Amino acid sequence: MYPQHQQYGPPPISHQPAYGGYSYYQQPPPPPPVYNPDPVTFRRDYSNQLAELKVNSRPIIQNLSMIAQDFARFSDIVAQCLESHIRRVPQWMKLPAFYLLDAISKNVYEPYARSFAAFVVPLFLETYGQVDENTRSKMEEMLITWRTGSPTRKELFGNPAQAAIERGVWGDGAASASTNSFYSGSGQITKTQVLSELEFTLNQKERAVQANPYDTTSQNHINILMQLRKLVEAGVSQDELQQILAQLRSLVRSAPPAPPPPPAPVATPVAWPAPQPSYPVQAAFPPPAPLYPFPTTYNTVKTETAPSVLPSTSAASGSSAQSSLLSLLSTLKKAGMVSENGTPQGAGTSTEDVSKLEPPPPDLERESSRTYRDAILTHDVKLTSTDISRKRPDLVEFLYDRLAAQCKQCGIRFPDTVFGKKRMEDHLDMHFKQNRKANQNIGRGHSRSWFVGVEDWVHDVSVDVKGKGRADGVRPINAKAAAAAEVAKRDADLRAQFIVVPPGEEAKPVACPICKESFKSEWVEDVEDWVWRNAVLKDDRVYHATCHAEAANGLAQRLRSELASLRSHTSTPEAVGASRTVVTPPPSGLKNSDALRSVSLSPSPESKLVGTKRKVDDTDCSVSAEAEGTPRVKKLALELPQ
Amino acid sequence: MASSEGAPIEGKEWTLDPETEYRFELDPGTSLAVKLVRGHAEVFGAELAAQKPYLFGSECKAAIFTWRGCTIEVTGQPSTEYVSEETPMAAYANLHIAFEQMRVRSLRDLRGSPVPDYERDKPIDPPRVLVLGPENSGKTTICKLLINYAVRAGQGWSPLLINTDPAEGGWAAPGALSVAPVRTPLPTCSPGSPLGAAATSAPTALSSNALIPLAYWYGHAETKRNPLLIERIIRNLGENINDKYQVDLQGRTAGLIVDTPSSFASGSGNSDERQRLIKACVDAFKINVILVVGHEKLNVEMQRTYARQLTVVKIPKSGGVVELDHLYRERVHNYQLHSYFYGQIIPPPAGISSALLGGETLSDLVLSPSSTVINFGDLSIFRIGAETMAPSSALPIGAARAVSETQAVPIDPAMPGSGLLNAVLAVLALPVNTDESERYDEEILDLPISGFIVVTNLDIPHRKMTILAPNQGSVVGRTAVIGSFEWSE
Repeated sequence: MYPQHQQYGPPPISHQPAYGGYSYYQQPPPPPPVYNPDPVTFRRDYSNQLAELKVNSRPIIQNLSMIAQDFARFSDIVAQCLESHIRRVPQWMKLPAFYLLDAISKNVYEPYARSFAAFVVPLFLETYGQVDENTRSKMEEMLITWRTGSPTRKELFGNPAQAAIERGVWGDGAASASTNSFYSGSGQITKTQVLSELEFTLNQKERAVQANPYDTTSQNHINILMQLRKLVEAGVSQDELQQILAQLRSLVRSAPPAPPPPPAPVATPVAWPAPQPSYPVQAAFPPPAPLYPFPTTYNTVKTETAPSVLPSTSAASGSSAQSSLLSLLSTLKKAGMVSENGTPQGAGTSTEDVSKLEPPPPDLERESSRTYRDAILTHDVKLTSTDISRKRPDLVEFLYDRLAAQCKQCGIRFPDTVFGKKRMEDHLDMHFKQNRKANQNIGRGHSRSWFVGVEDWVHDVSVDVKGKGRADGVRPINAKAAAAAEVAKRDADLRAQFIVVPPGEEAKPVACPICKESFKSEWVEDVEDWVWRNAVLKDDRVYHATCHAEAANGLAQRLRSELASLRSHTSTPEAVGASRTVVTPPPSGLKNSDALRSVSLSPSPESKLVGTKRKVDDTDCSVSAEAEGTPRVKKLALELPQ
Repeated sequence: MASSEGAPIEGKEWTLDPETEYRFELDPGTSLAVKLVRGHAEVFGAELAAQKPYLFGSECKAAIFTWRGCTIEVTGQPSTEYVSEETPMAAYANLHIAFEQMRVRSLRDLRGSPVPDYERDKPIDPPRVLVLGPENSGKTTICKLLINYAVRAGQGWSPLLINTDPAEGGWAAPGALSVAPVRTPLPTCSPGSPLGAAATSAPTALSSNALIPLAYWYGHAETKRNPLLIERIIRNLGENINDKYQVDLQGRTAGLIVDTPSSFASGSGNSDERQRLIKACVDAFKINVILVVGHEKLNVEMQRTYARQLTVVKIPKSGGVVELDHLYRERVHNYQLHSYFYGQIIPPPAGISSALLGGETLSDLVLSPSSTVINFGDLSIFRIGAETMAPSSALPIGAARAVSETQAVPIDPAMPGSGLLNAVLAVLALPVNTDESERYDEEILDLPISGFIVVTNLDIPHRKMTILAPNQGSVVGRTAVIGSFEWSE
């Protein structure tokens, strides 16, 4: 069942970009925020806020993504905070943070999708390697929405990133199938992949039906999809897997682009589940749904995006997708794969099946570190002078035999496992990029960088300039991470060293307001743009990075004390939100009774606030209700596949 | 990188038996290229890639060790070269495994993975190792080796390497104490960058040539010069590391290794001072293993003092360690400062046209510093303590210093005898607290280093000075601290 009122789920596929669901983007800009932090303060505040994101809490996610939107000028800081947060937190806290990343990328898109693209591949795959099966399926669901997550319905983080993640998650077949065309599938497709895509599509349909019980098309889709799922679980041939995958994707693709934003934004979150027939959801499911005939009147999948659109519109693509799915199904049946009376189950019970669904994909990283641990611990070495002088010739295997794959360039070794091979691949990519970069750099002077300050050193994640630590493969990374690492590297360089000259201003003399020296613009091949070196852009002014760092330190202090005198809770997470109002967007995919329940949770006066504004305090209280009040139920619900 | 073969000068082939090493020493101005032809080989724990010439220079003294035998081809003229069959590598490998066990247990604990019964009483602390030993015992090499083995394990460890030997300087310059996380094996090519290099704007293949150190300025080679200051720096480093561990729980499980000056081990200074500094390290870095390199007396002393709270292990010293004289150390300081500003430049020996230097292609490690003229007023320069200072204990009873050891004394460049010309200055990071009320007198002691500059010219009549800075970043308005190091090209 779809989740609980205060949870964030990745918006359904047709919901994604800014023009879709979240009304707060159509709001007039909020009153000039009192909160006007410098980067240091902002970084601190944002990471503090982020630290609160422990459960899948929609208010927190919304709040954080709005802050991100309002402070797009700090997008790099947001990206850094978020990345280091996801890397740092225990695995059960990772998914909510990914939902935040998802929300910011889809809703704000620029410049965040770009910033995130720099690290999303390794981050996603690393996380995917660490989390439990349940979270994985949630991540897969999210991943599928990223295929069409950009405002132009292209890959949210670009084709290469999407392909790299999919390859990392589902293996090579996935990537080749999703590169450029979702229809052509070449290479091996795994059962797991098909199942998770099936699951995803099923989810979409179920939501559609929940939203609109009249949506018989979706109901039929559900029935067919469930049968398909049974078939796939039972095992079908590679060809069939491929066909199923292609059909599924065309079904998803056939969802028309989301409608333009409604002229008048939905008023309040509580009002959101748009007027709907009050039929109980369950009753809307016909008992054992017939395979045939085609529904004569059906709604398109569009109904899932815009439940307020009445079920009269139709789309040919929907029907053709359905018919081909059906014919596929019947072909499979004829082949004796399934009995004709394999009656589909009602949607209500589907969730229970799902939980037993996926075979756990091997957790490569953990697996490899477990194996290593066991091997290391079998040796008995005591830390005494006599014991360490004993010869143990078999220890050398840890340096060579267990690390059979070696980089011919630099001699670094990797375990001869799937996991190790991936890392080696990334490592080689890194060499390639680095060599290319070095060749481009010939004749350009390099210099020793200043050392970092304590703060940056402690939070090394963001200071790990050039993503080297990760790129050279010693840290765990998956899949084609090197490509992304390279982007990250460049990105980090940018951050540390220079900024891109705004188009048309190449010739304009721009001087650092602090030292009055003017910047020299310089063409940088890697960036494919004119840049100012050692420069940062702050509040629309260009400073020398070094000059600004000095000034910022002073400013940070002043701001901090000013804020402190204004309000008592400057540096607390609430501060950011509390000094302004927060708009709660309509829930994306949740229009079930849970969403309605939120009405009773938020005190009614709040709904009378202008527009859809709610004070953050309320969201906070619902958060804590979420975090403490109903943990068991929530958690349970969280764990149930949706 | 296509290495051009068929050079006129032939290298010399050495075939090494398992667990032996080829040791060499270089004279000033010479270099050596070593190519692994067959088998496996490593330099202080960093494995060599096959068929790539690795360059060594700047009076480098090193050893190519092989666990299972190898053939290497050596080009160049070392002043000394021989093969040794007696190495302490087996003991070091045992140490490594013992530390790996501590790491995997620590990680298991962090991840909350189930612990089998027979493992229940095992400690879950990661290895935090202090390496002590007298002069020329190979402490730094052991630290490097243990770090290299850890990062080679393929487990993504990034242990912290801490240098508390101001004569060594770690990644900064001599006079500094520093710490950096290490993720790839530390190369050996020159005593000018014994532990890899700090980050530059150049693209590098190995992250060990782009390390991110955190460094504090002590300013002198000898710890006895200002033990109070060094103790304070050790405690600061400890706090910073603690903060980092709070942020990076998984990073913590890789542990840390602390290299120390020989003055910690044997007393040219008084024993109390020595003990104080060791205690400072043990406390600040939460040391749980002390390795004493080949020094019986010190081992006993450490056992007596610390055996109750931590493990003290005496480990063998390598026979390959070379006795180094004072002049050599002076030259190494020059190499280090030169590498800091200009990068690593070692002309390959005749017959080698392209080679790897510290794992990088040659051109990548060449840097261009920046020479600029600034006004006297642009930089606030201080000295910590008096210029020449006897230890407090040497003062007559009841006498107090005019200048305390931790007092920052401003230096006026216009005064003759300021000692600024050719002096190495540490440019400090900006204070986090610019709020006057939160400033304190000795704040300058607690600020890390941003970088180093050298005063190359003083123009007193015009109140200007020329400085060599590592990059083009401005130092105007910064605070710099002088020490007792000088450098001129």
